[in-house]
Amino acid sequence: MQGNLTALSITIFVILTVVLIGFLAGRDKSVRSSVEEWSVGGRRFGGLLVWFLVGADLYTAYTFLGLTSTAYSAGSLAFFAIPYSVLAFFISYFFLPKLWKVANHHKLTTLADYARERFDSKLLSALIAIVGVLMLIPYICLQLSGIQDTLQVAGTGFINVKVVVITSFLLVALYTFFSGIKGPTYTAIIKDVLVWAIMLFMVVSLPIIHFGGWNPMVDQIVKEAPQLLTIPNSGPKGIPWFITASLVSSLALFMWAHAATGIFTAKSGDALRKNAMFLPLYNIVLILVVFLGFIAFLVLPKGTDPRFALLSLIQTSYGGVAQGLAYSTIALASLIPCSIMAIGASNLFANNIYRDLINPQVKASRLTMITRGMVFVVIGLALLFGLVFPSALVSLQLLGVSGMVQIFPAIVISLFWKNQTREATIIGLLAGLAVTFTVYATGTSFGIYEGFWGIAANFLTVLVLNPFFVKRAQASSTPVKDYLFNQPAEEAHPERRGA
Amino acid sequence: MKKILLILIISLPFLAQLAVLPFVNRIEPVILGLPFLHFWLFLWIVLTPLCTFGIYHLQKSKGGLH
Repeated sequence: MQGNLTALSITIFVILTVVLIGFLAGRDKSVRSSVEEWSVGGRRFGGLLVWFLVGADLYTAYTFLGLTSTAYSAGSLAFFAIPYSVLAFFISYFFLPKLWKVANHHKLTTLADYARERFDSKLLSALIAIVGVLMLIPYICLQLSGIQDTLQVAGTGFINVKVVVITSFLLVALYTFFSGIKGPTYTAIIKDVLVWAIMLFMVVSLPIIHFGGWNPMVDQIVKEAPQLLTIPNSGPKGIPWFITASLVSSLALFMWAHAATGIFTAKSGDALRKNAMFLPLYNIVLILVVFLGFIAFLVLPKGTDPRFALLSLIQTSYGGVAQGLAYSTIALASLIPCSIMAIGASNLFANNIYRDLINPQVKASRLTMITRGMVFVVIGLALLFGLVFPSALVSLQLLGVSGMVQIFPAIVISLFWKNQTREATIIGLLAGLAVTFTVYATGTSFGIYEGFWGIAANFLTVLVLNPFFVKRAQASSTPVKDYLFNQPAEEAHPERRGA
Repeated sequence: MKKILLILIISLPFLAQLAVLPFVNRIEPVILGLPFLHFWLFLWIVLTPLCTFGIYHLQKSKGGLH
């Protein structure tokens, strides 16, 4: 496989430009003056900026490469991503504004912070942080393999792919350290615009190039590969899997540290409500992109590695310039989310593992420095695992969503259920994780998504155990609990304190 | 009355995108160039935001948003 020099030059040029913008975003020293400024931009972002940020966050290189590769090898199962993300934004409408309000009022920057204050439990906060970091590092590795595959297709014969991957990730770590959330926010706009433009371009042009248009393409899939167009009714991954995977993933989406970072940047709860309305529209491109996996199935020689379905399709279909733009889009879709994920993981580590467990007396300025420095550790670990032990991560990647969803009761249910107790929540979380891992390890999921069994066990445990601890929970209170449940409606705070 | 409407609008996206999937899992008829399953999913990408918008207005008119 030989790369294309024009395509490679364009890709590298775009990556360097974006890195430069990432650095420029941090010109003003105030962006790194505190954890709140560095990680959530002082909560000043309006609806549009949050839309770009959350969009940039969630629609990653892995989304495009992974979904087309699933479509290529497993047909319409890949479309589970559509109801999943549409429902995730719909569900978010009901709890994100409330969560944002509490976080804003009590100056919280992570979900684990919230759980600590809500339940007065450093154990719970550390548990949530550990789950968050443990699941996020493999996810960063996935982004890494996205850019690695892209550079491999674009640059074989011209560059040492590993050296370029490591360099670009270190540059991203450096600008994240320097500019905080401002870095990925401004570059997210470039990335999102490129994603929309390039994906639309591909969705329109690829069917024309290979079939003479969209409708002839669909006709040909119906004729030659109808099995791709429906979901199997049974089997290890059939309709029940599709439904439970969509549902569980939609509950899990905003439990990810990087998604939480994105929403805490908002300046008001209303910005988040509007976001919940407009974010599903992002999927209009996504659903069409999945069809590119079907094109790959019909066009590429049999036996192509599914992992390279989209990239090989780009390579065989376009000249150097279009290839270059497509590759740069995928490269950006891998680098920018990485930056936001690194912020989320660093924040969890510094605030909820280091401060809550190890050194509660740490000074604010030192904590800010530790949070920022953790970016190098997180990205370094991801590089190490991604490049040295790629196979060790596969299980964690597959279990990421099922693991993350287990904090849903601690974060979301607790916003609405006054008498939810610390003890039941912690045991539920542990039970959920244990069941998920057991089902995964023994392979006994009965055609249902693993995380579904986990979250069912989690909810059940909380419900059964809660009455045993409820007396003490009723007697004690925390400022966050008071704020959530004991505040007369007419005294409701304005959305921003002091505004 | 408004409460029933609210519950209805809230459950609609879940019913449409999860519960009825076994019934829309088919190729024919192809609508707007999309096999029926994909057309159905596409339709709800557009309709779900409308549900959210409806809920937003219902809540606002009740003064439930603060």
